[in-house]
Amino acid sequence: MSPTMTPVIDIQGVEKTYNRRIKALRGVDLQVGEGEIFGLLGPNGAGKSTLVKIMTTVIHASKCQGTVLGKKVGDKAALRDIGYLPEHHRFPPYLTGRQVLEYFGAMSGINRKDRKARASELLELVGMESWHKDKLGSYSKGMRQRVGLAQALMNDPQLVILDEPTDGVDPSGRRDIRNILTQLKDEGRTIFLNSHLLSELEMVCDRVAIMVHGLVSTQGTIEELTADQSGFEIATNAPIDQSLLSQISTLPQIPPILDAKDPTRMTFQTDNAAAVQPAIDALRKQSIIIESAGFKRPSLEDLFMQVVDTNQGDKPGAISGAKGANS
Amino acid sequence: MILTQTKALFIDAYRELNAKKLFWLTLGLNLLVVVLYASLGINDKGVTLLHWNFESRFFNTALVSKELFYTLQFTQWGVPIWLTWATAILALISTAGIIPEMVSGGAIEPVLSKPIGRSRLFLTKYMTGLLFVALQVLIFTLGCILVMGIRGGAWNFNLLLAVPIVLAFFSYLYAFCAFVGLVTKSTIAALLLTILFWLAIWIVNTGDQMLIMQREGSIIQVEDRQLDIDKQIEFADKRIEQLREQGKPVPGDEGNPLPEGYEDIQEAVNPALRMSRSRLEEAKDSEITWTAWAGRIFTLKTILPKTQDTVRLLERHLITDEDMAKLMGFDAQSQPQNNSENDPAFADPRAAERSAEIMRKRSITWVLGTSFLYEFLLLGLCCVIFVRRDF
Ligand SMILES: Nc1ncnc2c1ncn2[C@@H]1O[C@H](COP(=O)(O)OP(=O)(O)OP(=O)(O)O)[C@@H](O)[C@H]1O
Ligand SMILES: [Mg+2]
Repeated sequence: MSPTMTPVIDIQGVEKTYNRRIKALRGVDLQVGEGEIFGLLGPNGAGKSTLVKIMTTVIHASKCQGTVLGKKVGDKAALRDIGYLPEHHRFPPYLTGRQVLEYFGAMSGINRKDRKARASELLELVGMESWHKDKLGSYSKGMRQRVGLAQALMNDPQLVILDEPTDGVDPSGRRDIRNILTQLKDEGRTIFLNSHLLSELEMVCDRVAIMVHGLVSTQGTIEELTADQSGFEIATNAPIDQSLLSQISTLPQIPPILDAKDPTRMTFQTDNAAAVQPAIDALRKQSIIIESAGFKRPSLEDLFMQVVDTNQGDKPGAISGAKGANS
Repeated sequence: MILTQTKALFIDAYRELNAKKLFWLTLGLNLLVVVLYASLGINDKGVTLLHWNFESRFFNTALVSKELFYTLQFTQWGVPIWLTWATAILALISTAGIIPEMVSGGAIEPVLSKPIGRSRLFLTKYMTGLLFVALQVLIFTLGCILVMGIRGGAWNFNLLLAVPIVLAFFSYLYAFCAFVGLVTKSTIAALLLTILFWLAIWIVNTGDQMLIMQREGSIIQVEDRQLDIDKQIEFADKRIEQLREQGKPVPGDEGNPLPEGYEDIQEAVNPALRMSRSRLEEAKDSEITWTAWAGRIFTLKTILPKTQDTVRLLERHLITDEDMAKLMGFDAQSQPQNNSENDPAFADPRAAERSAEIMRKRSITWVLGTSFLYEFLLLGLCCVIFVRRDF
């Protein structure tokens, strides 16, 4: 979030202990600016859904400071402008797709006429218009997810909170959802996303936070988070030995970092291609074949693994139970 | 906003019940019973059902007016048997799921994340269950009014009183059902425990009736035995006078001490008096015991909802005391009075009469007030639980 942005979510020190035993959140600080798509990621059981449920008043925080949409966390009034798609939702199976939208629209206090218009609009947006007369009980998982997403948008929310929106949705549906998210962002809405699909988050999110064991360990734009590990990478056909490496390092430029696992790769922490040319010359002089050279940024997945690995020792055992669950 | 939300919750409840086919099923059964009601009739010889005649000494137009006949059918089985047992059970089966299904995982989150307070959400859901019953009872009652108007020739809109009364009765049970449903999240548990609770209330109520009958019986016995003693004393006094006139010795006079163990002269001249006195003491003892127990169960009943008493308010209201006295008269005639001294006290028809009178005289404030207090407290507890619960 850039300092000029007004925070839509601004919470500090959120703690949640379930049943006086399970510490799900241990002091979460989080800022989300207006109009951004914010992705919250983390391993199973990290507390992502717990945080989202606190913001939507489904559960009570043990400790919490700060605001959502300018209102204290837990204030029902803020919910008028929040759309929420819960994680394991089970909408009334006896309602049709359209009735679900109208029912939850009415629960948000929207009048009948707007409800009807908005429901038709949203059914089309999520590609469910041809199913609107069928009961939810007969829907597939992905179809329910789409209706759920539409439901979250019924009240024309400023803040859309989606807990794993692409769960069970087919690849084309996922792309549709991504497009919907960008469209929502263009309309000026803020989107808060919980997801495990890192590649997807990477595609849409302006900023991400990684949560491990109930704490946010890093947050920022993907560029910010990966800055110290991205740079120019040169891959050669043969391993670089120490003498050659020290020779390259003496050149008046940024020193290379040799990949510890793969000594045929070295990285220069710069995005300036000119700065690495002397190193290439030196390598070529030794008749080393350069297989590839280019700017490389670690993927969100790399970052995720790194953060999770470094935090593994934080609270031993906490994660092991959840490891079997598919993400 | 509040109106929109409330309406949405009611429509949703209707759709939920409709999906379970229970709304129309219950309504169909209610209408069937109205048809049965319509097929009953009364003429100068007795009761009729369709074209069959059942001769009756008591139920014929000479003694019971058509209007009273239909009112009686309504208050004697239409409400207490059909509405408060059959319909109530059907209604419980239909509506027991409303609260557990609302709080089940996955269903509650989208609702809680809407701008509606939790207490209001809970109470509105509770009301949807009551509305179901209100509608069913209203339709049944309107059907009965129609039957009574057409077949009995009297349009008695007072019968509509059945709607609030049955609703109040059902709301006691439904508050308990909602409470169990909220705590256990299980429809079956809510249904079964509510039926058990109902049974418990019924047992307490029956106990209350029996103990009152016992108590009244023992009071009557005390009175009877007191009368008996009075008679024995009178007899003894006469006997003493006789002895004096005849110049015979009277026990207790000078030089003629009372025999050992006799209390006074009367007893000495009339040994039966002594026995009567000890029998009075026995009766007094049993009166004390029964009064204590009746008091205890009354206290217990005060904190419980009064289902039967509530339903009986209707009969109180629809049947006048005179009509009631007439009907009680039939009962008394139909039971030959041959109560011997050895019959248990409550077998005395006077005890039954008195306890029925006591039941009928219990104040509406007590019946409804304490029941509503129970309901209010229980629903308050539900709200507290629901507001604080994490889902
Ligand atoms: N209702 C609950 N009662 C008790 N413990 C709970 C409850 N809900 C969650 N927890 C615990 O809180 C922790 C965080 O759970 P949460 O659902 O927030 O994780 P998550 O990050 O959303 O995981 P996932 O990626 O699997 O969805 C877990 O250890 C979980 O066991
Ligand atoms: Mg989750």
